[in-house]
Amino acid sequence: MTFLIICILAALVFLSRYLFLEPKLPIKLSAKGERFLHFSAPTVLTAIAAPVVLLPEQAGSESPELWLAWDNPYLIAALFCVVIIRLTGNVLLTTVLGMGGFVLLSQVLLGHGA
Amino acid sequence: MIPDTFSRLGRLNPLSPFSRFNRGALAMSPLTIAVLPWGVLVGSLAIDAGFTLWESQALSAILFAGAAQLVVIGMLSGGAGLLALLVTVFFITSRHLLYSVAMRSRISPLPLRWRLVLGFLLTDELFALSSSGLSPSEQGSSAKKSADKSAAVEPEFDRWFALGAGLSFYLIWNLATLAGILLGNHFPQMSHWGLEFAVAATFIALVVPQITGWPVAISVFVALLLSVMLHLYVVPGALALAALGGMCAGYLADQIAESMSGEERLGESQSAFSEASSCSETSEEPTR
Repeated sequence: MTFLIICILAALVFLSRYLFLEPKLPIKLSAKGERFLHFSAPTVLTAIAAPVVLLPEQAGSESPELWLAWDNPYLIAALFCVVIIRLTGNVLLTTVLGMGGFVLLSQVLLGHGA
Repeated sequence: MIPDTFSRLGRLNPLSPFSRFNRGALAMSPLTIAVLPWGVLVGSLAIDAGFTLWESQALSAILFAGAAQLVVIGMLSGGAGLLALLVTVFFITSRHLLYSVAMRSRISPLPLRWRLVLGFLLTDELFALSSSGLSPSEQGSSAKKSADKSAAVEPEFDRWFALGAGLSFYLIWNLATLAGILLGNHFPQMSHWGLEFAVAATFIALVVPQITGWPVAISVFVALLLSVMLHLYVVPGALALAALGGMCAGYLADQIAESMSGEERLGESQSAFSEASSCSETSEEPTR
């Protein structure tokens, strides 16, 4: 039963990924449409990353809370990542240093972590 | 820098599918590494919630969507019905519709089997990579200059590069899940370690270099603001809505910037988007 449900949900997810890749779908994107979609990558990625950084799950709280303060290790580490990528342009280096910085910060600022 | 070297190599001597596949996997590696802890987490949470080994692995192998997997694990173990699951997963997965529209011009001309495979592999991460400067498909303009040097005409979208990126990501995601399944609940605190930050770090690293002008900067700022607000109030489909709002703002700023350099027809383009709440605050910005 669980397996069947997983398959049905997988079909839904696949459909959402595949739908507009189907050439038979009668959609023609205008130059303006392409221009509009040009903004999709930076905005979606930002929309995914922003809550991770500014609304991190905090122990003992059920609903999301805005944590806009200097003792938020997610926020400091995120700003650190912005600096590294601007300086180096290297995604892998930014990921590794950002993650290392985050682990360090969360131990210093929160007294817990990995 | 690495991407430059790669694209130059790609233009001078058309590489074999195998090495293009490898280049894709290599370019994807930061995102693949970042998602490792998440994969482990998803596996161990599934086992924790009472899923069998095969069900836990199937979540990663056939559903293959981190955020949706976490929700399915939580809801199924909580006894939710199929309809509730479908609706929730639809909202989470709605952003993929955006990816598929954005990738349409590049993937829809490919043969069916390529479309199916790349469609299945079209995660946040693959979309992120395909839209970033790390992907050879975005090098179209610079490739034209030396197009005569490469005998075989390289298509704008490198399917083997995308396959290498997507498939390596898929394999590692599933291996990480397996590791999580085997570790089980040995690390019950893992979900509180903040490991999801790794994904945020890669996304920041991919977005920042894309901010090349005011329109993109504005679109990113609006998406950030909207995403935080919508998530704060637990609005369904918050991701897709925030992204669409940001896109509206960026597009509008782009149009304004363009008409400022050309004729003045500000009024028209502004009224067209007056419905989108996010767009109003951005209208002054591009005047600088």
